[in-house]
Amino acid sequence: MVENNLETAKETAVTDPSIHVIEAPRYSCALAGVYGTVLGLYDAVPLLHSGAGCGVGQLFGLLYGGGQNAGGDFGGTATPCSCLVEEHVIFGGENKLGNLVDSSIDLLNAELFVVISGCVPSLIGDDVDAVVGEFKDKAPVLHINAPGFKANSYEGYELFFEGLADQLLTEKPVKKGKVNILGVVPYQHIFWKGELKAIKDLLASIEIDANIIFTEYDTLEKLNDIPAAEYNVVVSPWNGHRAAKKLEDKFGTPFISFPGVPVGPKQTSEFLRELSKALNTYSDKVEKVIGKEERRSYRLLEYPGDAIILVRPHSYFAVAADSSTAVSLTKFLTNEIGYLPDIIQITDNPPEEFREAIVREITENLETGYSPDIIFEVDSHKIRENFKDRPFLFLFGSSLEGPIAMSDFGALSVTVAFPSYNRMVLVDNYVGYDGGARLVEHVVTTFAGPL
Amino acid sequence: MSKRKQIAIYGKGGIGKSTTTSNLSAALSDLNYSVMQIGCDPKNDSTTTLRKGKPIPTVMDTVRSGSNKLDNLVFEGYNGVHCVEAGGPEPGVGCAGRGIIAAIELLDNNGIIDDIDPDIVIYDVLGDVVCGGFAIPIRQGIAEQVYTVTSSDYMAIYAVNNLFKGILKYSGSGGALLGGIIGNSISKISQKEMITDFSEKTETNVIEFVPRSSTVTKCELDGVTTIEGAPDSEQAEVYRQLARNVINNKDSYIPKPFEAQDLADWAASWINNLLKEEKIEHDGIRSGSGEGI
Ligand SMILES: Nc1ncnc2c1ncn2[C@@H]1O[C@H](COP(=O)(O)OP(=O)(O)OP(=O)(O)O)[C@@H](O)[C@H]1O
Ligand code: SF4
Ligand SMILES: [Mg+2]
Repeated sequence: MVENNLETAKETAVTDPSIHVIEAPRYSCALAGVYGTVLGLYDAVPLLHSGAGCGVGQLFGLLYGGGQNAGGDFGGTATPCSCLVEEHVIFGGENKLGNLVDSSIDLLNAELFVVISGCVPSLIGDDVDAVVGEFKDKAPVLHINAPGFKANSYEGYELFFEGLADQLLTEKPVKKGKVNILGVVPYQHIFWKGELKAIKDLLASIEIDANIIFTEYDTLEKLNDIPAAEYNVVVSPWNGHRAAKKLEDKFGTPFISFPGVPVGPKQTSEFLRELSKALNTYSDKVEKVIGKEERRSYRLLEYPGDAIILVRPHSYFAVAADSSTAVSLTKFLTNEIGYLPDIIQITDNPPEEFREAIVREITENLETGYSPDIIFEVDSHKIRENFKDRPFLFLFGSSLEGPIAMSDFGALSVTVAFPSYNRMVLVDNYVGYDGGARLVEHVVTTFAGPL
Repeated sequence: MSKRKQIAIYGKGGIGKSTTTSNLSAALSDLNYSVMQIGCDPKNDSTTTLRKGKPIPTVMDTVRSGSNKLDNLVFEGYNGVHCVEAGGPEPGVGCAGRGIIAAIELLDNNGIIDDIDPDIVIYDVLGDVVCGGFAIPIRQGIAEQVYTVTSSDYMAIYAVNNLFKGILKYSGSGGALLGGIIGNSISKISQKEMITDFSEKTETNVIEFVPRSSTVTKCELDGVTTIEGAPDSEQAEVYRQLARNVINNKDSYIPKPFEAQDLADWAASWINNLLKEEKIEHDGIRSGSGEGI
């Protein structure tokens, strides 16, 4: 086995998906990213300006892959779509889109309409802004240009916020103690619903009012409130950064970023301290909350002590997940459970400029002398190859690894990342003081029993 | 004629493709060939002078209406020439390239050309090869010979050179080869010389020089080809000669296009000649070598 550090990590890194053929990337196209993002907003309607296959493809590819979830009121086969065919490629799809927007506004009881342009209208140059512009006084309607060939679904999340800032949001007086949470990408981050609620509750405990935007009603109000935040809080090493930058440029809202959602007591306490310090609300009261929660959660973590220490102590583990999840879980498992990170494969293709920080975030914050191999890889075949002949006993990955983890790698597995076809996720998540305990539950459950 | 001859006419926008093609079709029909002319241009003005200036419904109109009626695609023009216009979207909307593809597929898949079974099919294709759609007629199985219309203008020759690159690209996979260059709007010896030199440098040939002529303009204003409107004119004879040359031309070439910078250098060397001639004309001085044609 190779002892690794930043240098070798950089050398092994990078399959450029634009050059290499890849098997089963763990994200989809820009249209998919915007689609998932809009479905994450309650009472917002995505209108796909695309071929009919785009929406159906994303129902299977994105929604089911994102923890076996259907799309809600306006998702899946309920999503309005202009269903472009050759005729529209040649003559343009503007008329059909106009009719679609018009009837959707009439028929659907919703707060916001978001037209999402895919590959076809972008190739033929439909003037979608002009079509959408005609309906602005009938209902709140946005247009997000998201051709699949231009960007992936993680970038689709950013495109949504950039379009939102330009087309809907206006300046608002800043409310003290109010923050927006960015960087949790609906469906791509399979625990998005639970994570956002957990972060909101966590911050409420130290009197920070978090606008989590998604998974709640009164969507239009929540969106319009975005410029009223004192801070934008980004909980990912790269997702939500472009969105935060845009909001900073446009409304002057500063942003603070964390390398992932806080998992377990250590990360959570640090999250609360840093954020309250940034907001100038750090006080004894915050420390009191932290002290109380730490005491409670460490007491809780004593219960699985025997199972871990007597049955699977100091086990090597492997990860195949998006950057956010990989960073947070690796730190928790290493620093709080005493497991040994063997190989971390980052599957969400973060832009080059973020990679070094991601590697550093993992290597420099591990309280162990042991440093994992860190590989940026999107090709599922290569991910499997990289996992062969390694000592790890646990694999934290997706449903692409889960079913073969034991036969191919001799490891027990927990699905923690996209795609998650073998694990339904509704409220589950690993955020906060209890989040670490929940991960331990899932780890021990893989080997405990049967009698 | 045993095997159907299928050719495509390319060239820079406005260079005289449709005028030349329509006269070629008319002349071929006078020579008793059954001819089909397919305008591949959303402007759908390729065949107007074969139809007394009257436009015809296009293949794309049929696609747009979603009807399966395919009896409305081919229209009779001068002396029985079969006229087809591919048509396409309005300017600035949709994808004209895909329109050409759809039109040709529709004609092909429904055996429309086979049913009429013309001796010669001529595709008159819009301007430069701007995208894959406009390359369709030179890709495998559609046309087998390409002719390119050019004047001695640098940009026209530049477009021809680009077309040569396109032909070269598809030549390995059964695409059309070059039949020859048609020099158009020729009024001076040096223009002929420049085009001839270009053909030599690119290892191609000039199949005919068509002079600039006001007869063409007059006939166009009357909505007819020169062949129809002024059959006894010298210009009509030129088009008839072009028709005979095309019929007899069994050679197809893979051209050797210039690299972009080499083309610019080559053109620069010709500019002086042309300028000198213009000066002579302007000053009313005639010299032995610069004689008009
Ligand atoms: N030999 C000629 N003598 C005089 N006028 C000519 C000659 N050839 C073409 N023209 C004139 O040039 C104009 C453009 O010709 P035409 O429409 O055939 O060009 P085109 O290459 O088909 O253009 P487009 O790319 O727009 O289809 C017409 O008005 C035509 O009458
Ligand atoms: S890549 Fe293009 S065609 Fe495919 S789903 Fe995305 S938008 Fe649709
Ligand atoms: Mg023309």
